[in-house]
Amino acid sequence: MDALTGESNIVYDARGLVEPNADVPKISSIDGEKAEFDAQNLTTRQINLELRWLINEQGITDVTVKNPGAKHSLGVGLLTRCKITFDGSLGYFGCGIIDGPEVHVKGRVGWSACENMMSGVVVVEGNAGSLTGAAMRGGDLIVKGRLGARTGIDQKGGTILTMGSVGSMTGFMMQRGRQVICEDAGHGLGDSMYDGIIYVGGKVKSLGIDCVPGEWTDADTEFIDRKFRIYELGTPPTFQKFVCGKKLYNYDNLEASERKLVL
Amino acid sequence: MADANVATERHNPELTVGISAEYLSGKRFPYQEDISAIEDVDLMEATPGQDLNWLEDITLLVEDGVPAVFDRYSNSFVKIYFEIPKGREDEIARKVLIKHLTSGNSYGIQLKEAHAKFPQPELGPWVKGSKTVGTDWKRSVLPGWEAPAGH
Repeated sequence: MDALTGESNIVYDARGLVEPNADVPKISSIDGEKAEFDAQNLTTRQINLELRWLINEQGITDVTVKNPGAKHSLGVGLLTRCKITFDGSLGYFGCGIIDGPEVHVKGRVGWSACENMMSGVVVVEGNAGSLTGAAMRGGDLIVKGRLGARTGIDQKGGTILTMGSVGSMTGFMMQRGRQVICEDAGHGLGDSMYDGIIYVGGKVKSLGIDCVPGEWTDADTEFIDRKFRIYELGTPPTFQKFVCGKKLYNYDNLEASERKLVL
Repeated sequence: MADANVATERHNPELTVGISAEYLSGKRFPYQEDISAIEDVDLMEATPGQDLNWLEDITLLVEDGVPAVFDRYSNSFVKIYFEIPKGREDEIARKVLIKHLTSGNSYGIQLKEAHAKFPQPELGPWVKGSKTVGTDWKRSVLPGWEAPAGH
């Protein structure tokens, strides 16, 4: 196992960087439907292999990963209902392309966490990097810290909720879904958004092209109250609502097949 | 009635941009015509967490002038032919979709057995105990073709 860790042992071939060891480590301690393993000496590939082996072949529904070590691309491509706890931080692209898992990250996450998430729940205790929830399609992503730039870029569904602030160009080209930002938002909020709703509890440095204030309705109050209650986030602040002004709205000119891409 | 509808759906795919679930499967399903077939669907049970989760984005749409719900797993519309009670539009759409997915009738799910590349539940994350598919995927082989040198 040690031979595979460390930069000097990274292997390259004609296609680029590869992790050569495709053997499932099978090191978890299993107790009924729960399992736990220490990822400290495992590569990204081995950690993901172990997770898939536990969930898909051993019938485990609750996994704790100790010492994830901020490695990249952990917990990706999991397509079943299960609970995963990362007892530490994740690197880039954590929990991408998931469809069903409920994930709890006790640390922070790097760029593009939950990219293209289809369904499930991800709760991050710390901060998250740029591009969090990029192209997300469904589910709830709760970040208790702050978020970087371009949060929810190309978001096509789901809810991104942060208790902190967000960076510039948040909601860029957003097409559906909801973002709840409890503190400030950077420049260019909602730039070129097609649809969806962005709620901001703090100050907005500037709005992006075609992002305009929206009219608050009872449905907005119900939605905000429900999310804060379910995730035990306390009393919600007073939010401003932003939507697409639809000045640049050219959906009718798109081919119908393209319209489906955002459904 | 169902057969006649299927016949009209069987047009040239090159000439249309609309795809319905009936076109892909070749038949219409009972839950498209009878509301009682979907009344027992538990939406909260079918979704992760304590909320509607991804179904929050599912709403009743219209396709070809017919109420429909979009199935993102097969990129097609499931048309709904029964009368939808007022005030329950989105709920009915969600129930029809979940019934469609959990019944294994979604074309995207039907393709999994043959084409899933890594292990996953055949019926998706909505059905407990669903069979795992994708455990023995093998690359397709084109007879007589050899990879170029260096690949």
